[in-house]
Amino acid sequence: MSTPAILKALTEKEIISEEQASIISSYETSKPFSLHWELRSILYLGILLFTSGAGIIIYENIDTIGHQVIIAIIAFLTAFCFYYTFKHSLPFSWSEVRNPNKFSDYVLLLECTLFLALEGYLQFQYKFFGSRYGLAIIIPTIIFFFSAYRFDHRGALSMAITGLASWLGLTIAPMSILAENDFGNERLLISAMILGSLLVLIGWLSEEKELKRHFSFTYFLLGGNLASIASLIGFFTKDYGIICFIVSICLSGFFIFRARKAQSLVFLLMGVVYGYLVLSYSVLRPLGDAAAIVGVYYVLLSSAGIIYFLLNFKKFLGIKK
Amino acid sequence: MRKAYNITWIENLHIVQTAAKWKSKNLLTSEQEALVKTKFPEHFYRPGLFVKSGLFIFGLIGCSFFAGFLSIFVADMASENTFSVVSLIAAVAYFFFLEHLIKNNKLYHSGIDNALLYAGIGAAMTPVFLLFEGAGFAVYCMLALIILTVATLRYADLLTTLGCFLALFALVGDLMMKFPIGKALLPFALMILSAIVFSQVRLIRNIYYQECKMLLQGLCMVVFYLGGNYFIVREGNAMLNELHLPISPQIDFAPLFYLFTTAIPIGYIFFGLKKHDRLFLIIGLFCFGFSIYTYRHYFSPLTPAQELLVAGALLITIAASAIKYLHTPKFGLSDEQDGRRKLANLEAILVAQNLGQTPAEKGFEFGGGNFGGGGAGEVY
Repeated sequence: MSTPAILKALTEKEIISEEQASIISSYETSKPFSLHWELRSILYLGILLFTSGAGIIIYENIDTIGHQVIIAIIAFLTAFCFYYTFKHSLPFSWSEVRNPNKFSDYVLLLECTLFLALEGYLQFQYKFFGSRYGLAIIIPTIIFFFSAYRFDHRGALSMAITGLASWLGLTIAPMSILAENDFGNERLLISAMILGSLLVLIGWLSEEKELKRHFSFTYFLLGGNLASIASLIGFFTKDYGIICFIVSICLSGFFIFRARKAQSLVFLLMGVVYGYLVLSYSVLRPLGDAAAIVGVYYVLLSSAGIIYFLLNFKKFLGIKK
Repeated sequence: MRKAYNITWIENLHIVQTAAKWKSKNLLTSEQEALVKTKFPEHFYRPGLFVKSGLFIFGLIGCSFFAGFLSIFVADMASENTFSVVSLIAAVAYFFFLEHLIKNNKLYHSGIDNALLYAGIGAAMTPVFLLFEGAGFAVYCMLALIILTVATLRYADLLTTLGCFLALFALVGDLMMKFPIGKALLPFALMILSAIVFSQVRLIRNIYYQECKMLLQGLCMVVFYLGGNYFIVREGNAMLNELHLPISPQIDFAPLFYLFTTAIPIGYIFFGLKKHDRLFLIIGLFCFGFSIYTYRHYFSPLTPAQELLVAGALLITIAASAIKYLHTPKFGLSDEQDGRRKLANLEAILVAQNLGQTPAEKGFEFGGGNFGGGGAGEVY
């Protein structure tokens, strides 16, 4: 429907006057075309390509350029980015800070990646941290957490959480949880469950106590997925499965009931999917061979039930909107 | 063709959404916006992306197990005919549920109706395809085109629209491939066909098909560009003629394709900026990127790493200077942010996926191209 048609409909129902309609129509014809998102995406892509290219070039020429020069350049760039972000930052606050500066978000991102490159380089060339790998990981993690809270940057926060996870030997990036974590390893499985649950707890606290409450989404999504997947695998494979079952059910329940407050329903979906998997498994496993036949009926009826729930979840959970 | 969804509600939905946009620019008062909502009511169930995906996934699971459930009864007399009969029964059941749910639960592309539609089409196509078994690719394309067009006209679904488009182009491509002259003229045929489809689709005014129209236009633009792209034509030519050489041979009319490869993206971008058409702009940008790739594939003097570095630096410079330049709107272009950032949360997760890998133990070894956390590191 074109703008004139909508304006005509609105004036016919006497919602707006003729003058207002002509104001809106002249606004629509003269308003500028915003390139905001296109330019931001190009900038982000540029940072991604630039840092990758720089990394490979340094790696290829490591013998010829001279280490001090490379380190000096990266260190200088990092320091410059850090300085820039600081100079253009707003005072700290526990609520969301909107920085009017157009670049500082991206410069901070560049700074974080460059810092990682710098540190990796130092360790590779000079064994700066010796064999204390833990220290090498926790330092950027601390810096990222600091940057995330000081400059109010969700990207830095998720990099910090990633760092924290890799300090424990885990991969937390949503697409790689299953592929890259060795959950056969008991220690890793348990730390994944604990870390994930802790992150969910922190997210919940930051929401309840209004401490950067817009960070809670990142905590929930990264932590919740890690904990849920780890506890599911634990439940399927380990003999202390009952604990994993409880963790998993609690998480799913938490996510489903949290949907009352949330603006985003991604957690409702997570809760339903993980909860469904764990419940189905616990129903079907004791059946043994009979599971194949009962399974058809079970899946048919239960997925119909889930669809019914999702179609009416607002009613069930008492959401008014 | 009778439409499955309530067209008045769709119009009202559009009006309400536009009113909300105007409200955010203070062109309407809150009372007026509220009045719009009461005078233009719509009662669609639109649960948002995530619940929608949940409905879609569980819808598909339910549909496939329903088919399994049906085939339990005929498991003993498996033959092609029983298979067709089961598919037909399933298709009838899916479409019955689809219509029932759309009517009673007021669905509007809410996930479950998409799932039922795809399951229904799949089930309905099976017996038809079995009937024409061994009839050749073109016949299948034609059958698919007919079924999908009917479905698109009734349900205005995006995936069926995509299916129509692919079936049409596969049909024309297949027919052209049958003749030697057709092979040579294939790029031009694809370009002409996409131009024709584009100009026809442009005439659609009905809001019911607005999204399908956008999709088709975008697809036509992409095919039009790819049909004229030097890389695609040269490599495609080598592939179709089964020339397995290390370097594909030069093609006829090469300068013409150089021209297409350069001019089409620039034309798209220019047109997009001039007419304020975001579809043209974005597709133009992607095509431009692919043109750069085409150029470097044949002529680049740089190593991939140097290219990354240069491209990255260029992109940063271009974007940063454009943002600076457009600080105050110029030539009808601006850098103003439309509304709040809706995807800020997901952006952060993307950052974690792409950049956020802290140097783990093996990261220090700088595996080929995996600079510790430098961003190329998809591997760890």
